[in-house]
Amino acid sequence: MVASDRGQSDDYLKPLKRLLVGVLLICLIGLLLVWRIDSPRVERFRAQVVDRVVPSMDWAMAPVTGAVNIARDFRSYQRLYAQNQELRRELQQMKSWKEAALQLEQENARLLELNNVQLDPRLTFVTGVVMADSGSPFRQSVLINVGARDGVMEGWAAMDGLGLVGRISGLGPGTARVILLTDTSSRVPVTIQPSGQHALVIGDNTKAPLLDFVESTDELRPGDRVMTSGDGGVFPPGLAVGQLIADAGGRMRVRIAADYERLEFLRVLRAYDRPRIDDPGGLVAAEAGNG
Amino acid sequence: MAERGALHPWLMRGLFVALTGALVFVRLLPLETVPPTWAGPDLFVALTFAWAVRRPEYVPPLLVAGLAVALDLLFHRPPGLWAALTLLGCEALRARAPGLRDLTFVADWAAVAGTLVAMTLAYRLILAVMMVDQPPLGLSLMQLVSTLIAYPAVAALSHLVLGVRKRAPSDNATPRRLS
Repeated sequence: MVASDRGQSDDYLKPLKRLLVGVLLICLIGLLLVWRIDSPRVERFRAQVVDRVVPSMDWAMAPVTGAVNIARDFRSYQRLYAQNQELRRELQQMKSWKEAALQLEQENARLLELNNVQLDPRLTFVTGVVMADSGSPFRQSVLINVGARDGVMEGWAAMDGLGLVGRISGLGPGTARVILLTDTSSRVPVTIQPSGQHALVIGDNTKAPLLDFVESTDELRPGDRVMTSGDGGVFPPGLAVGQLIADAGGRMRVRIAADYERLEFLRVLRAYDRPRIDDPGGLVAAEAGNG
Repeated sequence: MAERGALHPWLMRGLFVALTGALVFVRLLPLETVPPTWAGPDLFVALTFAWAVRRPEYVPPLLVAGLAVALDLLFHRPPGLWAALTLLGCEALRARAPGLRDLTFVADWAAVAGTLVAMTLAYRLILAVMMVDQPPLGLSLMQLVSTLIAYPAVAALSHLVLGVRKRAPSDNATPRRLS
């Protein structure tokens, strides 16, 4: 009796269930199409969802991350002696560098004073803590705990103490997503010193992103310094990105200066639009008009 | 584990949600910010499929779709596509579940493998057609393989620890008599 009742209700429900699955599928595909057509709106929605979900897990995430990192550090104690030797050697080198840096700093200060140079005072930063990573092996990004509430804006550069880490893309009230230089969607215009050539650093999901669109590759040497050029107005110019290395195929890649092994605190540089100069100015224009 | 009344499926659905939450939590921990050379398994898909084959009533379509979309949003994937494919795969396995009930685990594994390969191919194909930036092919394949390797473990864990087992023929003859 019970069995036959269930059987009947199943027969009755089956088309309904199938309809439900169909409707769900249409909704999902619809979401995909909307995302493809009007990406910013859906990405804003995504940022809102992330902003709601991730901070609520933060109370548990921080201790677990800390514990895992302590365990990892503990494992490194096993080769304490070797590390100590290595550090001593590095310290020796650093001392000579420090001497050189001090001299250069004094010289730089003298020269700046001679020229009466004004450094850009508006390059201030907000510091955020890394809360979570992208959770997928295919996307390279981290979430930090500062967002629109702290005045962060899309496209600003994020650095650690050493160099450029990525750019802000995806902004919630209290969180922001930093797309790392290694992500496949990351493209950063750079200049290469000392040759002064312009190029793009293209993330390809490997540790060292690829360097492309270089004018003449002959002038590149492994070890050349790579810094942002400020082209396109996305990043302020002159941020350290890394050094050139040649991969096994002979192509130039960038060894990133930022410490990607341990991203903990990130500085988000406040980059306001620099005033653009697009007319010749009243005085010159007036003369040109008269003459 | 015997039937425990009408509440039991709801408990298991709750457990499914809780497990998914735990998966998200572990995946989002900021431990690896260096691009990995290998891709771990998609455990949500493995879990969903293992349960869809064993007890389809524990993974209703609405729940799977909702969770999959949430995961798409959180993991920064193109929203909706992988969720739609997961739902399709889940429904395909649900339809085959009565047939798989009497077969061995290898048949079950093969069915899941076929579904997953089709899903991965469709995913890459659709992304290519829509001209979206794609992850490297190697990583996608690695994720596929590692998910397939993880599947038996997920199934065994569901079977032994969580008590998600295939309905025995005797259960079917007298459903819910014990409740």
